[in-house]
Amino acid sequence: MGGKGNSKPAGETLGDAERTRFADLLVAVAERQDRQAFAELFAYYAPRVKSYLLRLGADSALAEEIAQDVMVTVWRKAGLFDRVQASVSTWIFRIARNRRIDLFRRSKRPELDPEEEMILPSGVEAPDARIEAMETEARVRAAMKDLPEEQILLLKLAFYEGLSHSEIAARLGAPLGTVKSRIRLAFAKMKVRLGDE
Amino acid sequence: MFLTDAEMIKVTQQAELNESTLAALASGRAEPALDLFLDVLMKMRGILESEGEVISGVALEGEDPAEMSVDALAMAFAAIERGGLARQRALAYPELSVLPARLREAIASAESRSGWKTIGLGIRTLDLGAAGELKAEIVRVAPGMTVPRHTHKGRELTLCIHGEYMDSGAVYGPGDFSIRDPSIHHEPKALEGAPAYALAVTDAGLKFDGLLGVFQKVFGL
Repeated sequence: MGGKGNSKPAGETLGDAERTRFADLLVAVAERQDRQAFAELFAYYAPRVKSYLLRLGADSALAEEIAQDVMVTVWRKAGLFDRVQASVSTWIFRIARNRRIDLFRRSKRPELDPEEEMILPSGVEAPDARIEAMETEARVRAAMKDLPEEQILLLKLAFYEGLSHSEIAARLGAPLGTVKSRIRLAFAKMKVRLGDE
Repeated sequence: MFLTDAEMIKVTQQAELNESTLAALASGRAEPALDLFLDVLMKMRGILESEGEVISGVALEGEDPAEMSVDALAMAFAAIERGGLARQRALAYPELSVLPARLREAIASAESRSGWKTIGLGIRTLDLGAAGELKAEIVRVAPGMTVPRHTHKGRELTLCIHGEYMDSGAVYGPGDFSIRDPSIHHEPKALEGAPAYALAVTDAGLKFDGLLGVFQKVFGL
């Protein structure tokens, strides 16, 4: 492949201009069935979706197949993309995630672990103040920039890879209580609105 | 409050999910039927909990790109040519087209796969064919009709998705849901004037105990 979408070093995320460009490309796919725009999205996202699936334990052939399938779905559902609601990355992640739900029978995985602490800290108001989705996108991205590497790792393991708190503790060799409290702390920072601090 | 035997609880209050539950939902780790149920519930109640998905979108950008086969793009275009663009399939009951997209698609796909089954006078069900061990189905009750008194083998989560129905003395509208113990007899009745629809998630009596504990914690029951 080696398109320009692949030239970024691992770990680097998209800036504002690139995210706007990808949203433009996806809209071009939706409105004009623009193959060139799709090719550019494919060059950037297909290899990353494949990495995501490999990370989840798919073998190379299956990861390739699902990544292809996710990108075909991107083409087919481009008309449902709403740039006000989500970034292209978040939107494509959701498609990949839903394919994952369809394809992996997660029989060995513990699901919501009933032993896990589920009660929210008190004082949480009912979320009737509905925060705009795009503000969430900006807020979370800004918060992640300021977060120490270690807390980003914890958030990725929990939200992206879908490991339970006990699995994370085992993987990192850290006490469960520490893992729980740090994830809670890191996630709380994602929920602090810009300017609230 | 914990659900005891022979009890049915109506849940209408806003619920906030904590980060452990959100992580399970955002990552796709939760049982598929429960994942669908919670997703639809949150959308219907206007709860946007997308932080976890944004975190994941950012993580996806940060992935070390895996090598794709040389003809990957050409194969994708070939698949696109074969499949054409996704069209919004018409649903058997047009009033359901206002449902959240994911549920709407699940219904469209189930209609083309298994279709609605009539299980009694004015009562139809549609099995959504959820992967995993829990069953998710849509129940349609015609206006003014009653689902005959029945119990379930397992516990049941029922979310009103359209219309209104009365069950065990409470009226359920869109976004209201109940958790029902298997021993409870109930006979939901659609109000006059419009059909009522519910998304029901059931187990075979084996799996829900743990899940129910989760719900009790998540929703503070």
